[in-house]
Amino acid sequence: MFEWLRNFSLGVWAIVVLAVVSSIFIFTRPEPSSNAHAFWLFARPHLQAYEPLIAKWNGEQPEMQIKPLLLSLPAMERRLFSGFMAGTPMADLFEITQIVTARLISGPVEDIGLRDLTDLLTSEGLSDTINPPSFSPWMLRGRIYGLPHDVHPVLLAYRSDLVEEAGIDVTEIETWEDFVRVMGPLKRLDGKSAEDRYLLNIWQTNTEVLQVLLLQAGGGFFDANLRPVLDSEVNAMVIATIATWCTGPNRIAIDAPELSASGNALKMRGQVVATIMPDWLAGVWKNDMPGLSGKLKLMPLPAWTKGGRRTSVMGGTMLGFNRDVPDKVFKQQWEFAKFLYRSPEIAAEMFRRSTIIPPDRNLWKLPVFDEADPYFSDQPVGRLFIEQAPNVPLRVSSPFFNAAIEHSGQALLRLVEYANANDVHTIEGLLPKSRELLDGAQQQLMRDMQRNVFMREDE
Amino acid sequence: MNKGRTPAMTPWIFLIPFLLTFAVFTLYPLTQSFVLSFQQTFGPRSTVPVGFENFRYLFTDPLFWIALKNTVIFTLCSLFVQLPLSLGLALLLNRPELKGRSLFRLIFFAPSLVGLVFVGMIFSLIFEKRTGLLNVALHAIAPAFPLEFPWLQNYVMPALVIAALWLYVGFNMIYFLAALQTVPDELVDAAGIDGAGPWDRFVHVTLPHILPVAGFVVLLSILGSLQLFELPFVLLGGSGPENRGLTLVMYLYNTGFVTGDLGYASAIGWVLALILAGVTIGQRALSRKGEE
Repeated sequence: MFEWLRNFSLGVWAIVVLAVVSSIFIFTRPEPSSNAHAFWLFARPHLQAYEPLIAKWNGEQPEMQIKPLLLSLPAMERRLFSGFMAGTPMADLFEITQIVTARLISGPVEDIGLRDLTDLLTSEGLSDTINPPSFSPWMLRGRIYGLPHDVHPVLLAYRSDLVEEAGIDVTEIETWEDFVRVMGPLKRLDGKSAEDRYLLNIWQTNTEVLQVLLLQAGGGFFDANLRPVLDSEVNAMVIATIATWCTGPNRIAIDAPELSASGNALKMRGQVVATIMPDWLAGVWKNDMPGLSGKLKLMPLPAWTKGGRRTSVMGGTMLGFNRDVPDKVFKQQWEFAKFLYRSPEIAAEMFRRSTIIPPDRNLWKLPVFDEADPYFSDQPVGRLFIEQAPNVPLRVSSPFFNAAIEHSGQALLRLVEYANANDVHTIEGLLPKSRELLDGAQQQLMRDMQRNVFMREDE
Repeated sequence: MNKGRTPAMTPWIFLIPFLLTFAVFTLYPLTQSFVLSFQQTFGPRSTVPVGFENFRYLFTDPLFWIALKNTVIFTLCSLFVQLPLSLGLALLLNRPELKGRSLFRLIFFAPSLVGLVFVGMIFSLIFEKRTGLLNVALHAIAPAFPLEFPWLQNYVMPALVIAALWLYVGFNMIYFLAALQTVPDELVDAAGIDGAGPWDRFVHVTLPHILPVAGFVVLLSILGSLQLFELPFVLLGGSGPENRGLTLVMYLYNTGFVTGDLGYASAIGWVLALILAGVTIGQRALSRKGEE
């Protein structure tokens, strides 16, 4: 009866056995528990800080188990989009960045897949206790779609060993102009470029730092009504200034990318005096460049004008909720979110692991933020960031955020090319060209936006 | 029983698995993307029909033309730099008198065993300013050479071509080598006896023999180059300064998966598909003409 089985070769048998075993494996896998709530994260330090409290929550709340899953940000982005577009399985809660959020909250309000938290935040008083600027990246048309995870204020980190050796007093620095003048003696351009030293880690290709400086100066990409403002006078001044930093005989800038071995090597060698540093980057440096311990200090960012803003903002994460989850289940998830985000233990652990300060102002009293940090020459790093947190500039979420960054970045690149080609290296000399280039960038962005039928309906 | 006759359904039963997977994973997505190319999407849930608006905008979109220009330049470099180098290497390594030619073949072929993403990462380190291998070496040889030479900023296309050469020259060499081994030695020898020099022997004996394979390699190179994505994406971490490394497929990816405009991305995809189809048909027509 089974004579034909004898004709099977070894390969066929291998395939049959594989098929049977894998089928058994798939069909006998336990179904995910119906009371398990998927929680997607992209940052390992976040997960490491949350794990003990999630375990505690799961122990106390058997009816609502939280299942955290660490994903790379692009993977999470794809999964979220697939979930919203095609109903594929997705998380109930997820931590996401501003760029992802800007895309998720684009389109008509009724189509936004994230739960609107505005009323809840107001009724529970969270809109008062959370640092107000921290809501801005997660807002659209006055509605808030996420619980802020952080503030990410920015300070200036500098090589205190070099500065003190040169007898420089950083308290004399209030503006960027002061910075260039006071730190000037540290610049070393002796012709052997391997030995050169520059004052600031910034480059014309670094759009992230460009955004930080534009926001600090009061510029940016969009106004509160989501209209592009790339061609503002303040933006023109900022990119003209950056161009003078990156070119010519008075150049002060070096390209030492963050999160890269080559960039770190330049910092370790002392070729970079100062770096624009958000709280999370301080944690990254501690981890990646332990050799700089005790050689660094933090100070407020130099302002663009006397009495101006001494900080800015870089990066940001929020906790979002799937709108399709029933209200009753959402209430449980909301309790978990508050348990996690308002927990003093997590705030302290997160700070110790990654130097990130929480947006909840009630947590700013924790002693951990006043602890001396030997890496930053025993400065109370947490307190320094917290002091600047209320002053971080507001940001506007727009689906055209990427396009705005790209067009502004191109304007800066072209301005630097213009400066080099025409040997113009003063702010006054570059301002007219800067205005012209930003005007072009504005036109391009408007063109991108005009094409969008949804935006046309909005107008 | 009707021995020797195949029931009418039998071929279909064998075809069903393929037809099903083809329908689900190819036909349906293609149809869906065709429909999408006439729509505009905004955010994950909003879609609205826009007729030919996506295609109309595409032809006035400066980024599309930049992407097309970069892609065409890379393709031309593949054809006129990479393939001649591959052929030259193959001719060299086909010489019986060359000692250790098997080892050389392995050495030249080995880079293609490395994944494209790794190649991008390796070359991003090589082209790095100040600490990159290339600049450090050139600076050591000629101290006037600036350590900050911006390969990945101002010389994006040469950097891409160099990385692609390292990766593909040996790979294409293998095709040419295989083709060269089909050229009858007696024909080459006879041409030599008749007084043909090395160039004449190559043009009049070797080349006609390897022409079908050469045509295939040309087609593969063109199609591969037109679909270039991973190498610039990893090497430059995106499209590079001023979109100097933006290719058509990268523009499609950025539009669809970064900006989230799936309708416009589908339109780009269909235009790219038409270009690929046009190139393939053109190449086949030229090949047939050559064979005649």
